[in-house]
Amino acid sequence: MQIDDEAHGPAMLPLHPNQLWVLRVRGLITAVPILLAAVMADLGPLRETPVPPGAVGGGILVALLASLIVLPPRRYRAWAYREEADELHIRSGLLVRSSTVVPFGRVQHIDVTHGPVERRFGLATLVLHTAGTRGASVPLPGLLQAEAEAMRDRIRAKIRQDLV
Amino acid sequence: MSDGAPTPRRLHPATLIARWLRLVPQMVGGGAAFAATMGGWGRFLSFAAMAGGIGLVITLLWWWRFRYTLAEREIIIESGVLNRQRRVIPFDRVQDIAIERRVIARLFGTARVKVETGGASSDEGLLDMIGLAEAQALRDRIRRGHSPTPVAGMAAEEPLLFRMDLSRILAAGLFNFSLLFLAAIFAVVQNLEQLGFVRVRDWINPRTADTAAGFFNLRNSLALLAALVVLGLVYGVVRTVSREFGFKLTRTGGGDAAAGAPPPPPGFRRRRGLFTLSDVVIPIRRTQVGLIESGPIARQLGWFALAFQTLGAETKEGGVQAVAPFARMDEILPILTEAGFPVPPERSTFTRIPRRALWRWAAPFFLVGATATAAAFLIAPGAGVAGGLLLAAGFYAAFRWRKHGFALDDRALFVRAGLLKRRMWIIPFEKAQTISVTQGPVQRRLRLASLLLDTAGASSMRSPEIVDLDAAEAEALAAKLLSLFHRSRSEAKPSQ
Repeated sequence: MQIDDEAHGPAMLPLHPNQLWVLRVRGLITAVPILLAAVMADLGPLRETPVPPGAVGGGILVALLASLIVLPPRRYRAWAYREEADELHIRSGLLVRSSTVVPFGRVQHIDVTHGPVERRFGLATLVLHTAGTRGASVPLPGLLQAEAEAMRDRIRAKIRQDLV
Repeated sequence: MSDGAPTPRRLHPATLIARWLRLVPQMVGGGAAFAATMGGWGRFLSFAAMAGGIGLVITLLWWWRFRYTLAEREIIIESGVLNRQRRVIPFDRVQDIAIERRVIARLFGTARVKVETGGASSDEGLLDMIGLAEAQALRDRIRRGHSPTPVAGMAAEEPLLFRMDLSRILAAGLFNFSLLFLAAIFAVVQNLEQLGFVRVRDWINPRTADTAAGFFNLRNSLALLAALVVLGLVYGVVRTVSREFGFKLTRTGGGDAAAGAPPPPPGFRRRRGLFTLSDVVIPIRRTQVGLIESGPIARQLGWFALAFQTLGAETKEGGVQAVAPFARMDEILPILTEAGFPVPPERSTFTRIPRRALWRWAAPFFLVGATATAAAFLIAPGAGVAGGLLLAAGFYAAFRWRKHGFALDDRALFVRAGLLKRRMWIIPFEKAQTISVTQGPVQRRLRLASLLLDTAGASSMRSPEIVDLDAAEAEALAAKLLSLFHRSRSEAKPSQ
């Protein structure tokens, strides 16, 4: 799979393909209440106004469907990671892109979390916590559960005891 | 101090009085207005007496249930009347230790000890009032890490690094002009109004508004402005003197390990205060970032401020500990050297951000400002003021752009920013926590990116981010910083 069109530095790994489905389901979960609110508005207060019935609900339905089709793959492709001997490189973000390096020696503690949607697809999120401020917790989603735990154990072995 | 099983201790009994004095007014305060309006002073006094009694019971219970224990390598603090809380703070997790003596504490010869660990809660290691001698012994013990026997000669004279005499503190106060006292005046007025002494509503009443407007003629307005400026200066001086009085920075600990027990690690010790005496020790290896600041006028006269960012520093000071609040550059540089920080290079060696970054820094102000000015000519003259202000903001941003840049030497990254208030961060490579490059949509269009070398205890508001570097340069710099980080860490390892 093609990851990086600009191809700077060594290649980075994509997230597990199931993450695409996690993003779609999450998108759906946020879309449903918005759609419901729009339909309610259509049936209720907008009746009194000259807005044609169904226009708001229909418009929002189309917009949501379009973003559900377009956004998840792009958000999925925005993520990439590379595990090196001493640090983890993570690239993320669709609108505001960021690439972060976390040296293992700086990791204070590590979480492996899996929410209900992720669990359904056998995925987990690895969260590296450092003593920093803006980079205080660096998440890496879309890892197979076993892989996330293996990664946590590898990193844990490299955490040095000297704090800060 | 017994060397056997550590015994739990309680705070100094004076804590009872101090706590009680603090608690009761809070309890009475709410009821005061109520009681005063309802039943006159007799009822108010009985209410106050009741609050005093309840306050005494609460304070006594709290004091009785608060215990601290000095174990071999940690301090254990137990507290809570019903919900017991037991907190263990290992000595080697302590970032800095502050001994603070407020007026009441000084009356009883006690001190407040605050142990900062860098955890999230602010009062995690707070011993409200313990005897002064005990506080100092406690600090020695924590700093040494373990050795329970106090070593003689610990209190020997510490080399002086920096001090400020009264005339310098007064001068520093003049640059601390502040209108914060207005907030205090408003608070007082509001309280008086609640108690029915003043009626602010009358002042803005339409019927009396004419007399109010009549008051604000040119002469009175100028006089008021002058009074504000004078009061602001006085307030700044008073605040500075009460905080910085007797400012003294010494070097403590370190030295040779000849006398049996190893000496505590080297650190800075800062003493200051007029009413509240504070005495803080910052271990040198806990300092993360050096920060040199200067205001627009003070800089012209050659005055700068030096502070160190530590993980445990109190957030109200912006995450940094001031070590030289008002000093000459040739006083600041030796302190930096003492802390093992490199000295900033010449201004000319700084790499500035590319010219096209002005599209993001200043162009929006110019565009909106020019539109508003044009609109002012055509439609609304009022928009002219807004337009002029926006144009001025654009020029300000453009000058700020000129001052933003970074430099590298073999040990640290230097970042400078700000036009009026200028800041220079000195970030040793080995203090990096994460290195990140971010790029927003506009930056992507302009091929720009921002780089942040995140450090422990960094302020989220004023971070040393290098904004709007050339994108390719940002990538290269991030890679370079990473390799410099690994190199400095592998060099630091054998020595520790």
